Amino acid sequence: MKHMMKPIKLITTLGLLLVLIPSLSFSRGAREEKPVRMALSGNPDTLDPQKTAGTLTFQVTKSIYDTLIEPDPKGNLVPALAEGWDFQEGGKRILFRLRRGVTFHDGTAFTSKDVAATLKRMQDKNTGSPHGAEFSLIERIETPDPNTVVLHLSSPLAPLLATLASGWSAILPAHLIEAGHDFGSRPVGTGPFKFKSWVRDNQILLEKNTSYWMRGKPKVPGVEFRIITERSIQVQGLLSGQLDVIDMYDAIDLPILEKNPAVKVEKVLTSLVMVMAMNTSRPPLSDLRVRQAINHAIRKEEVLEVAYGGGIPVGTFMDASDPYYVDFTSLYPYDPEKARALLQEAGVASDRTLEMILPQNYEPHVRAGQIYQEMLQKVGLTVKIRLVDWSTWISDVYRKANYDLTVIGHTGKLDPDSRLANYGTDKTYVRWVHPEAASLITKAKSIMNPAERKALYSRVLEIMAREVPFVFVGTSYRYVGTRKDIEGFRIQPKLDAYDFRDVEVR
Amino acid sequence: MASVPSPLEPGPNTISGQKGLRIPFFILLVRKSVRLLLTMLLIPTVVFFVLRVIPGDPALVVAGFDAPPEVVEDLKVKLGTNHPPLIQYEEWILSLAQLDFGTSLISNEPVLKLILERFPLTLSLAVAGMLCALLIAIPLGVMSAVRRWTLWDYGGMVFSQIGISLPSFWLGIILLLIFAVKYPIFPLFGGDSPWHLVLPSIALGINRGAVLLRLVRTAMIEELGKEYIITARSKGLPELAVRYRHALRNALLPVLTIAGIQFGYMLGGAIVLEQIFSLPGLGRLILSAVFQRDFPVIQGGTLFIAAVFSLVNFLVDLLYSLVNPRIRVG
Repeated sequence: MKHMMKPIKLITTLGLLLVLIPSLSFSRGAREEKPVRMALSGNPDTLDPQKTAGTLTFQVTKSIYDTLIEPDPKGNLVPALAEGWDFQEGGKRILFRLRRGVTFHDGTAFTSKDVAATLKRMQDKNTGSPHGAEFSLIERIETPDPNTVVLHLSSPLAPLLATLASGWSAILPAHLIEAGHDFGSRPVGTGPFKFKSWVRDNQILLEKNTSYWMRGKPKVPGVEFRIITERSIQVQGLLSGQLDVIDMYDAIDLPILEKNPAVKVEKVLTSLVMVMAMNTSRPPLSDLRVRQAINHAIRKEEVLEVAYGGGIPVGTFMDASDPYYVDFTSLYPYDPEKARALLQEAGVASDRTLEMILPQNYEPHVRAGQIYQEMLQKVGLTVKIRLVDWSTWISDVYRKANYDLTVIGHTGKLDPDSRLANYGTDKTYVRWVHPEAASLITKAKSIMNPAERKALYSRVLEIMAREVPFVFVGTSYRYVGTRKDIEGFRIQPKLDAYDFRDVEVR
Repeated sequence: MASVPSPLEPGPNTISGQKGLRIPFFILLVRKSVRLLLTMLLIPTVVFFVLRVIPGDPALVVAGFDAPPEVVEDLKVKLGTNHPPLIQYEEWILSLAQLDFGTSLISNEPVLKLILERFPLTLSLAVAGMLCALLIAIPLGVMSAVRRWTLWDYGGMVFSQIGISLPSFWLGIILLLIFAVKYPIFPLFGGDSPWHLVLPSIALGINRGAVLLRLVRTAMIEELGKEYIITARSKGLPELAVRYRHALRNALLPVLTIAGIQFGYMLGGAIVLEQIFSLPGLGRLILSAVFQRDFPVIQGGTLFIAAVFSLVNFLVDLLYSLVNPRIRVG
């Protein structure tokens, strides 16, 4: 037995070495000026803007790449890599004049070839981009000179400019596309920050692009994204000064942040439409009177306040700050008496039970679901709640419409078509079929005149407000917590991407 | 002089009292290796088919929540999830045979690379956690056993009871609130230096150490009551030598067996602690792969863990049979 101790000693020594060796490779040097540290609530799938639909990716890639056009803080589309654009032939030709003197992070100059190569890569089925279909009407891309790009479309497409302003339309360098470069883990763009490193599920480091085309920007030496999934750790990180910025998707932590003098909290209206969706293909929800009754039974302000940390009630399928928004909130005011009467009229038995499926990873929606359950109980509808994981929710509820009721928030879109596409047909998860609404939506897609387009969408929104395939609850606020010395942090409207170009440390 | 237990007494790892044939070491090795391979093949196979039964498709995750159905169909074709499960299984086994773990459907990175990126941290945490657990369990356990039914013993048992009952996420959060927020000695999140491992190792150590403490106590009490100890004492050996050179050595054998198994578990990643401490370990890789239905990563990850776990047990077994040939019993 004497030799028993030897392996133990050996194991202990080896153990200590194993602990210390990997840690050596992690150590890094001190910095003179500190980068801005922000919490990210999850690991982005990839940093290749063409290969995902995940918001986390675009929240990061906004700092690495640029788009031809971008939304300004109010949501208007303004020049970025393109200095200007003209519609020709009734919208079937779009000419872009590109900015001169822009370079990619690897030093090569940005030209029209890069735009053409980027768009072609997007259209290529092998890229497998979830947004590829948005580019399918582009038939031909012409590059008459290094600073001009002409897109030829098979028919006019009003939402195209908004698409080109979105994160997935970021411009990639042509020579790296040809070389089959791995943009997913080593992104190269023209953006305000250069990619430095990414340790998955830990951190993404970006450093200032000193030759960025916007003069004097960015103002900070870098950005450090820390991937922290625990909400409470993010909050403690901000309070203790280990983080500079956090983006709060849940208002539950507001009270402790507001108490701390070193921290400030900014309240911004999101572009979400929070809804309780109803499967209109299933009785009794197929009966308009039942859907109306449910709408009358819900006190929207209360749901917004308790579940979502406040917001503005809406009455149709558009967020409250959108230029296309029309207010229909007066159509179905809170009226439990009327709700009961409508249910009786529709012959819904008092012991009727509906199933509400909730995505368990979104705490606010789960809280909202419980409030709805209580409100519906008061008018005589029994609701049974079932929690599912996100993948199950997407596949069972959103794709297969295997549910009665569910709760979700629809994210913002730069163009109304992205929000409304397919509604009125049986392709959406509410299975609400309305041929008139569907044809108006299709028609509006190719109308280039803004006023004419707005009239069509207003009609669609009114039909939806009356037919109520959802309870349109409202647009919630989001809260951005920053240290007091941080100025200029912005979240892009609709796209929710983080913009650090104007961030300064005071 | 090393203590020699009576041959009638079963060693800690033998089937009690059974008299078996001595098996040559080589045959033992072959037999255990076959078992190891079967386990490693069985576990991922089960995982493979379970994944195909539960709802959710990676194409839906990549396409995003409101992508049109055509886009989802295209992505299914590109990701290969449109094939029937049996074909997918065949493809997977064939590529495994060529040591190809496949590529992540979500990030397009090779699965093996993703796993190996995470493994050093998981390994460091497991080793540090195990050291903490042993540092807690052995001294306290011995103390409890030697001073049975005294305040020392009760103190040890109370500690063990608390350590077992406390959920590790709660302990983790409390440690963070005290030592990273109130007294910012350790970092609150991240995994870039040895400092980041201190608090999670302590949390892990308290949790596992509490279990091991009871084992140490029981084993030590048992050893102290044996005849060879009486012999040693009657020979006039100092009490300290009796306790630590004789009793403790033998008492540690069963403890190390259990510690080995626990170590194997820890190598699978301490998911909850990784989440709380924002550590980029193996557990979080597989957890997010489950949420995203990233089949190759889940399959590769579980295969890897099964392999490491089986390998650790295999090595522990071999180590024992080398140390104590009486264990080589069929």
